[in-house]
Amino acid sequence: MKIGSGHTLILNGVSKSYSDGDKQVEVLRDLSISIDAGQSIAVTGPSGSGKSTILNLLAGLLTPDAGSIQLSIGQRTINLDSATERERTAVRRQHIGYVYQFFNLVPTLTVFENVCLPARLNKRRELDDHAAALLKRFGLESRFHTYPGVLSGGEQQRIAVARALVMSPPLLLADEPTGNLDAANTEQVTDLLFETARELGVTLVIATHNIEVAARADLQLKLGATD
Amino acid sequence: MIALALGRFLARTPWSSAMALFGVTLGVISIVSVHLISASISQRLDGLVPVQLAGFSHFLHRSDIASSHYFELRRAWRKGQLEGVTAIAPLIDETTDIEGSAVRVIGVDLFNPALVPEASSKSNSAFDWLGVWVDESLIDKLDLPVNGILDAPPGTLITDIGPAQEILGWPPSRLSFLGVQINDTFQQTIDLLENVMPGFGSGFPSRTPAVALPDGWRLTTIAEQHPARAFGKSVLFNISALGLLALLVAWLLIYQVAVSWLRRLWPVFERLHVLGADWAMLRHYFLVGMIILATVSSVVGIGLGLLLAQWLLKAAMPLENIKLQLDAWVVIKALGSSLSVCILGGLFAFHRAAQKPSSSLPALITLCLLLIAAGYCLLEPATGLAGGFFSIAVLSLASGFTVIPLLRSLRRVSSWIKGPYLARLSLRESIWYPQEVGAALSGLILAVATAIGVGLMVESFRADFAAMLERRLDYDMVAEGDHAALAALEQKIASNSSVNRYQVYRDTEIRIRGLPVSLRVARVDDQEARRYGEFDALTATEVLLSEQAARMLDLDVGSTIKADDSLMSVAGIFSGFGDVQPRVVLDQGNTLAGAASKIESIGVKTSDPQALLSRVRVDFPGLELRLQTEIRRAAMDTFDQTFAITTVLIAIALLVATLSIYIAVTSMRLNRRTGSRLLLTLGVNRVESIGMDFALGIGIGLVALTLAVPLGLLFGWILCNIINPRAFGWTIELQLMGSALLQPVLMGLAAAVFAGLLRGGRAEEGYANVRR
Repeated sequence: MKIGSGHTLILNGVSKSYSDGDKQVEVLRDLSISIDAGQSIAVTGPSGSGKSTILNLLAGLLTPDAGSIQLSIGQRTINLDSATERERTAVRRQHIGYVYQFFNLVPTLTVFENVCLPARLNKRRELDDHAAALLKRFGLESRFHTYPGVLSGGEQQRIAVARALVMSPPLLLADEPTGNLDAANTEQVTDLLFETARELGVTLVIATHNIEVAARADLQLKLGATD
Repeated sequence: MIALALGRFLARTPWSSAMALFGVTLGVISIVSVHLISASISQRLDGLVPVQLAGFSHFLHRSDIASSHYFELRRAWRKGQLEGVTAIAPLIDETTDIEGSAVRVIGVDLFNPALVPEASSKSNSAFDWLGVWVDESLIDKLDLPVNGILDAPPGTLITDIGPAQEILGWPPSRLSFLGVQINDTFQQTIDLLENVMPGFGSGFPSRTPAVALPDGWRLTTIAEQHPARAFGKSVLFNISALGLLALLVAWLLIYQVAVSWLRRLWPVFERLHVLGADWAMLRHYFLVGMIILATVSSVVGIGLGLLLAQWLLKAAMPLENIKLQLDAWVVIKALGSSLSVCILGGLFAFHRAAQKPSSSLPALITLCLLLIAAGYCLLEPATGLAGGFFSIAVLSLASGFTVIPLLRSLRRVSSWIKGPYLARLSLRESIWYPQEVGAALSGLILAVATAIGVGLMVESFRADFAAMLERRLDYDMVAEGDHAALAALEQKIASNSSVNRYQVYRDTEIRIRGLPVSLRVARVDDQEARRYGEFDALTATEVLLSEQAARMLDLDVGSTIKADDSLMSVAGIFSGFGDVQPRVVLDQGNTLAGAASKIESIGVKTSDPQALLSRVRVDFPGLELRLQTEIRRAAMDTFDQTFAITTVLIAIALLVATLSIYIAVTSMRLNRRTGSRLLLTLGVNRVESIGMDFALGIGIGLVALTLAVPLGLLFGWILCNIINPRAFGWTIELQLMGSALLQPVLMGLAAAVFAGLLRGGRAEEGYANVRR
């Protein structure tokens, strides 16, 4: 399902802080952005500036202290800031793909099973063929029944991207997806992310330190260091 | 600074640190409670044999023993002809009837100060060489000067040799046997180890040292001389062996704590190492932490173990007022166990975490040698109870050794596991981390296998025991009590038309080849013989032997037996479950029947047992009357009470194993913390997450059962066919009952599932997360 036309992902006056002992550390203050369907946006900034926090807020893993986050899917608009834990979990499951810096593949599932996992969680067994096609496209057809532990970092990240895309989610979040890869793999994974997202009409939010990766996005959000 | 870093780390993971503390404490509790219970029972059993007899290591018998035989032997000893013998003394130990009560008369040489009884405070202080020491039940029954009151079983009397002969109506030259003390280093070592593990000594077969005795003498051990005490000690050994199981599982738990704790600390250690702290120093800090953990746990565990032991004994014996006290041995055992396992387990865990290569070949060779030794112990009865339990211990070790290779093999074929993805994932996870769960899994396997083995043995025993009761309880009513009243009752029922059949039993104790044997005389016609098995009526020269008697006297069906100059043949061997003493049954026409002159009990068959019982109760108020149904119920209740402590010990072992699995699962969750975050991101909800924990528990439980079930069956076979015959002299037919098998299997699965589902400390999982 694609995000509908117009402003589809809207953050309005979002603030978020964490407590560190007795101290409150403010990571985001009054952040407002809006992203159109199918657009890509790179979130850049120094460590601790709140890049991962934005992604976790968009995924519904965190809720903002203030402000609102609206996600429009088709005719439906979901307020992630006020949704219950259960609703946010359901949104994440059905509509959001996530790629981590450290791949986070499940060690006890084979490559194919890892990619199929989101589809199976949504009881969409018919997407197995799509999973196989993605793996073939990503050059991993010989690795279907291998466990991830024996694969290289580049291969693991390609599997992670395939897994994030198997449901063709309207929103794809990538947290430093190339942060743990060499130059050749960085390029390959970046190509796969942007090209596939564009083809599928997926909105991509990518947090990165890499200027070249950020340059490929339609929009850039630069965050400053917090106190 | 390093200590501060570690201290803060542990303080920030309070649940896991508390679990480690609780785990070791539970281990110490099981060690202390089992030791205290065993020591208490052992002390009570020792009380069955008066100190005057317990001081001798062996006894010397011969037919028609007289004081001249004693002096003759004494001369030989003084000349140095009895090598190894350090003391020798004449003894009398007989049971006689005094004013209608059975009294055990013990005669000792009071010139030996060590043999003068130590009477309780209530005793009379005046000393009379012709006086006696008696237990409280005999104070007013004897017309003899009482020197003191003994803390002994009812009906015990101790006096000098002369007065004892007089009480028994014996000539001054007659003796029962001689007591000797023989120097035996092996036995002294066993006696010392008895302090560490009460009941340990009875696990070893009685040793008869090679002493060059003149013709006609036969040497018996203290166990043969006092079968009731030996019987009790064998029960105790069985309990202690189960206590050892709790100890082993506790050790595995403590090791699991070390592994899990280290697992959590490892990322901190790695960072400290990068900063320049060398591994030896980090290991030192880790061990200090383990020692603190062991010490705190031991102190708490010793206190709680004492309370648990008191509670268990109160529950098992509600009428007894037993006060338990901590002695140095139990403190040493508890502290030693927790400290040594914490230190050695910590070192081993550190060694493995540092991934220093080590060869498993020496361990494999040792295990093979142990398995050969275990096989020998199973085949060779001379290795005694200890041999039987040694083989069980080796099999347990072998199963523990198999756990990690089994998990690795299962991992290789894990792609065969199909089904829903989350269940598939969790089931595979249960076999994915052999190092993390290996020790805990071994503990669970051991606990479940023991539960299966003991369960099968108890249920098989129960079935055999019930079958024996069914046969033996042929009479509707049994009367016991005063001999004269029983004789009068016999007269009365002989002419009672409602009585279909009755049987008069006369019992006494005789010695065959110097060994005490219970003799039962009755009218052994076809019907009476069938109470003991598929036997025919006994002739005047035939006897039936209990399995215990046959084993002790080394006799079989058809063998001949000589007692009091009568030669008899063994017509059959019967099961005597519950008999503490070997038993011989013979017909009243036998020449030996005269040895038992007084009626001990009468069995009656009648069409209306209740009516007969009411009538006899009115006519003979002093007699103890019991209906068949009551006897059966009481016997089965006693049977169940006997195994109550066994059940509790297994429950403790299972509880400790469950905790161990929980600690292992927590450690494993540290491995899958990134996976957990991923699943959360993918939208796995709470119900699915609980389902995954359930599947993980099922997976661990199934792996444990893969080894525990065959091991348990093997344990059951050893307990029925090796341990029981060696401990009590009876054989139990192993019956594979579904209920005995199913209950431990379900308990094992439940333990694993419970450990998997325990949610506490989940919030801490992310704390040690060092990667995004």
